[in-house]
Amino acid sequence: MRAKVCFVFLLASVVLPGLTFAQEGHPLVGTWSGDWGPTPTHRNQVTIVMNWDGKNITGIINPGPDVIPMKVVTLDSTKWTVHIEADAKDSSGNPVHFVVDGKLDNILSYKRTLAGTWNHGNIKGDFKVTRD
Amino acid sequence: MRYRFIAVLAAAALMLLPSMAQPSSAQNRRPAAAPAKPTPRWPDGTVRLGPPPGEKGLWQPNGRPILAEPETDPAIKDGQGRGAFSGPPFPGKPKESEVPFQPWARALYEYREANLFEPHTRCKPSGGPRQFITPGGVEFVDMPETKTVYIFDENGPQTFRVIYLDGRPHPKDLFPSYYGHSVGHWEGDTLVVDTVGFNERFWMERQGAPHTDKLHLIERFTRTDSNNMKIEVTIDDPGAYTRPWTTGFFIRWTPNAEAAEYICQDNNQASTMMVGTEESVDRGSRIVP
Repeated sequence: MRAKVCFVFLLASVVLPGLTFAQEGHPLVGTWSGDWGPTPTHRNQVTIVMNWDGKNITGIINPGPDVIPMKVVTLDSTKWTVHIEADAKDSSGNPVHFVVDGKLDNILSYKRTLAGTWNHGNIKGDFKVTRD
Repeated sequence: MRYRFIAVLAAAALMLLPSMAQPSSAQNRRPAAAPAKPTPRWPDGTVRLGPPPGEKGLWQPNGRPILAEPETDPAIKDGQGRGAFSGPPFPGKPKESEVPFQPWARALYEYREANLFEPHTRCKPSGGPRQFITPGGVEFVDMPETKTVYIFDENGPQTFRVIYLDGRPHPKDLFPSYYGHSVGHWEGDTLVVDTVGFNERFWMERQGAPHTDKLHLIERFTRTDSNNMKIEVTIDDPGAYTRPWTTGFFIRWTPNAEAAEYICQDNNQASTMMVGTEESVDRGSRIVP
């Protein structure tokens, strides 16, 4: 049974990234994937999922067993900038605070992007994610 | 169903301008409609939305088939083909500044005005009011025996929409779609259509007013005579607007016109927009989506 579940997740992870659906509503809605890191060579894969309920933007970082719920997500539509904050724990159980500030680009494209700074505890870096 | 396109000098231009669906002077060279006759009716007195018996024709945009009156630079908009149809203004149509956009929706609307990147140009179906804002027009097919009305698109991907008049409610747990789920009823000579279940993969109008999957649309179709139809639209979308708002436009009967086979994808010059970015749109290449 466990093997079947793993297979389904594996299959989904292979198939779903290949599907791109137009999304012409709120520009943050959807699944975004890319990477962040402190240097151009030290990168970490990241997936962000955001939703809009008509009043608030909600989201999660890295869906799965280590999912991190977003605590704050705001969009400044005058500049198309996005501010995200989230709290998590590192592998030692110590609290880590994420502060992410980015700017939307190619807003009308299916493959719009969000890029900026990604501060993860004491580590400062940059990030870029593309809407899947 | 096979159609042959007859009439309208616009046809040739439309076939050469596949999916762009931008109005041109050719589209305004429609044959002059005959003097309006009374609104055609079925034997039971119900208004006919399609042609009278023995006649044929299509409905095409009339007036400014946009949802809000431009304020910032109408000349630019007209130059881009938006609102370029001549015709009567719709009474009470709000100005852009009067539309109760949420902040993000207004910003996106303004962004879209400056960056034409509409899914319709990628041969995608266009639900809501956008269905009626194509130069090729639409065909209403009344089916009294099944209590349905079909609205066929003549441009874009040549899809159609169904309006159920049999009293059914909207299903629960609708799968979001381009045209949503429409139920209608007659209030006097006006067909009132209630639609929910839209997806977010299209622009509901040509100017780019955003919507979300919370969109609830109420359309009131009134055929005022044989040549003219008034379409009043109430947009209730708490995901994009702070309150419901009402606008509208007119469509005009083009007599003797028939639908043609029109395959948007076959000559799509803008399809790179499906995979490109705003900065690298290549309108010169053909890619069938």
